[in-house]
Amino acid sequence: MAQRYREPVTPPGPSTAAADPLVADLRRALAPDRVRTEDLELALYGRDASGIDAGGRAAVVCLPETTEEVAACVRAARAHGRPFVARGAGTGLAGGAVPVGEPVVIVTTRMTRILEVDPDERVAWVQPGVLNLDLTRHLATWDLHFAPDPSSQQACTIGGNVANNSGGPHCLRDGVTSAHVVALEVVLPDGSVTVLGALDPEPGGYDLRGAFVGSEGCLGIATRVAVRLTPNPPAVRTLLADFASVEDAAATVSAVIAAGIVPAALEMMDARITAAVEDYVGAGYPRDAAAVLLVELDGLPAGVEAHAAEVVRLATAHGARAVRVAADDAERALLWKGRKSAFGAVARILPDYYLHDTVVPRTRLVEVLRRVYQIAERHDLVVVNVFHAGDGNLHPLLLFDRRVPGVMDRVHAAGEEIVAASLEAGGVLSGEHGIGLEKKAYMDRLFGPDDLDAQARLREAFDPDGAANPDKVLPAGARCGDLQRAPEGAWI
Amino acid sequence: MSGRADEREAVPPETAAGAEPAPAPGRAPLAVAPGPLRVDDAELAACVSCGLCLPHCPTWRVTGAELLSPRGRIAAMRAVQWGGAELDGTFVRAMDTCVQCRGCEPACPSGVPFGRLMEGTREALAFGAGRGRGAYQPWWRRLGYEVLGRHRLLLAGSTALAVAQRLRLVPERVDRSLPRLSLRRPRLRRSNVTGEPVWLFTGCVMDAWQRDVHVATIAVLEAAGARVRLPGDPGCCGALHAHAGLRAGAERLARRVIAALPGDDPVLVSSAGCGAALKDYGHLLGTPEAERFARRVLDVHEWLAARADRLPPPVRPLAGPVAVQDPCHLRHVQRAHPSVRAVLAPYATLVELDDEGLCCGAGGTYSALQPDLAAGIRARKLEAIGRTGAAVVASANPGCALHLAAAGVDARHPMTLVAEAAGLPG
Repeated sequence: MAQRYREPVTPPGPSTAAADPLVADLRRALAPDRVRTEDLELALYGRDASGIDAGGRAAVVCLPETTEEVAACVRAARAHGRPFVARGAGTGLAGGAVPVGEPVVIVTTRMTRILEVDPDERVAWVQPGVLNLDLTRHLATWDLHFAPDPSSQQACTIGGNVANNSGGPHCLRDGVTSAHVVALEVVLPDGSVTVLGALDPEPGGYDLRGAFVGSEGCLGIATRVAVRLTPNPPAVRTLLADFASVEDAAATVSAVIAAGIVPAALEMMDARITAAVEDYVGAGYPRDAAAVLLVELDGLPAGVEAHAAEVVRLATAHGARAVRVAADDAERALLWKGRKSAFGAVARILPDYYLHDTVVPRTRLVEVLRRVYQIAERHDLVVVNVFHAGDGNLHPLLLFDRRVPGVMDRVHAAGEEIVAASLEAGGVLSGEHGIGLEKKAYMDRLFGPDDLDAQARLREAFDPDGAANPDKVLPAGARCGDLQRAPEGAWI
Repeated sequence: MSGRADEREAVPPETAAGAEPAPAPGRAPLAVAPGPLRVDDAELAACVSCGLCLPHCPTWRVTGAELLSPRGRIAAMRAVQWGGAELDGTFVRAMDTCVQCRGCEPACPSGVPFGRLMEGTREALAFGAGRGRGAYQPWWRRLGYEVLGRHRLLLAGSTALAVAQRLRLVPERVDRSLPRLSLRRPRLRRSNVTGEPVWLFTGCVMDAWQRDVHVATIAVLEAAGARVRLPGDPGCCGALHAHAGLRAGAERLARRVIAALPGDDPVLVSSAGCGAALKDYGHLLGTPEAERFARRVLDVHEWLAARADRLPPPVRPLAGPVAVQDPCHLRHVQRAHPSVRAVLAPYATLVELDDEGLCCGAGGTYSALQPDLAAGIRARKLEAIGRTGAAVVASANPGCALHLAAAGVDARHPMTLVAEAAGLPG
């Protein structure tokens, strides 16, 4: 057996974070090398994949391995009057794991054990740091998988999926994370441990599991998650339809749903992002298409074939130049690899991106997309669209280079207009990425004072002192008399 | 692995982001003042921090630490290069713990050339950025790298080490990570048959410690219709020097290798790490001659896979299944790993590891310099090997084979396996 690797530990010194009495307590609770205090390391936990810099930084970073250790971290933070922030792999796009002020950052990346798989009941208990795709790979033995499949699936953690109630292409039919979590063991903001939900189908009492999934770390930290497992479909067909206009592609989306077909996934990419993705993956995406649709159908073979034929017919009727059916699993996998790499591939165009996650009624897709392009053009910005078309969940990515002077102002202005356009069309702020820091200031455009107050009361019931991931999700003043500090340097 | 992906992977790295001929509208001019690291500013800017590299990074998998992930290392480079952060011990540790497996590169949708960023960073450290020149690569490390380039000294030292092993003079801690070295090395002979002329690059440590692999490789190549030429003394390829940031040494060795392998015949390499280095000479030296040379370089399996119909018949197919371990520099850098399967398939039942080519932790000198991390990384590989149920592991890189063998794995070079199954002298 390999020796256990231990990171070097900075000894306490007068000028370092290591001198903090909080750190001494944490080091007593965890192995000392799993409590990190070096400046550079703390700085790295100041950001996630959103690129949002809230001007905060971790006071100290903890890497617990068990529920007891997470609870000890929370209790130590509270004992020293510090807030705490949970973080998984840091692939979040709304800044949910970005520290505001100087909280204790509790990282779950070492909690990677799959504790128990019950293939008969189709339930598995996992630690929160298990990677989404690792879980699905592990389940292949039983011909099962975990249905939510965010684009960051290979890197994101189950704990992060729970926090953000994450979606993914295949959530069109299978539903988002909340539909696939049956119970949770959580460390509450006071450091106590409890279980929400239960494995039996009708647990008594309020559905606190439902309240916790999607709470973005504001109600506590999940330390064990009972996930529902989904059987792999007997047959799968993946189609790639190629369009000369975004409007034709969007019309096809509506036509497919109107025909009574609910595909497993129905994704759209516009011209520029399709070309960038093709540069990376070489899956044969058409570089000259104005838009492509990726449609996946699964189920019993006969039904899949019939639906595939119908989708081909509808796409062709709506002007598709070509519809390609993936020949085998390798081709399917390559097409999906392309779609799921889209955000990460944008540096082939420009090195920074800012994206929104609004959801609009499918019938308004064409109109909202048109406005998105106009808004970007007016602000002299490049925009690409890659999104879950089947459920109207837009992901307009504004691309820029933050080293260009003044560009951030244009990005923020355009972003705000995109949100406004989506809400005007009857949409909502977020489909699956969460509110985090990024969309907090827009909450009052969607929710009235009563809605916000109800949400703030729920949060207060779990966390009366506001210690769990403070300054996230709810805007300042959501609760009467509640004065939260606006994050300095926040994007919005 | 589908054929289509391979075709794409033949695209030269110059098409990666940041090196586009015409900058996209809105891309910043390179206005940022150059920092201490010897890296390209646009390449450093090309990371969007999406984190898709994380699961492909062996040190992140073992530690869960952002600092020990590709994204974290790039953020640290940016903090130094753009933010004026100090080149402190934490920064050096972040860089030094990188295995340079480059598993993050094929995982990166934006094509960040991480290996180049890491080599440029280490070059700056070795040159004395931040601290004294000797602080990053102390004299004893530089001496070790120097010996690799002096083949006679290396051979003599290896023989001495073999004797010392038998006299139990090697400290147990060191001996554990070494193979049992032979007292005698078989003589290599160039082909006296007619056939397609090829060079076999013999290298340094591989020639000193695993010359039996060269013997087997020559036998297989001849059976497949090659006339094998051997260079006089090409010595070391310089890969380890480049990885350590000792660029001048790497350049000197590269020029010597090019001179030792003249003409237009293909240069075949049976060590994945060396092959990746030789293929990169164009970039390293930046001369047309080096670029021409780099285009002649092939992994030995690539050459054989293109001549699969000429492979010798399997007279003694291997009994049990063989697990294929992809050396990182064959899979992530050369992207030539499918050819190993094509060559081995007639001789054995092949089984795949389920870890997507995650590094084994050998990493050239890494297993010696970072023994704890290397062992932690290897533990994951051992688990993946265990799940296949195979008793034999094929590894086309001497470093990986040695590192795995030190943990009790029966790791053999594919050429050795083919020679055995084809009943060739080897």
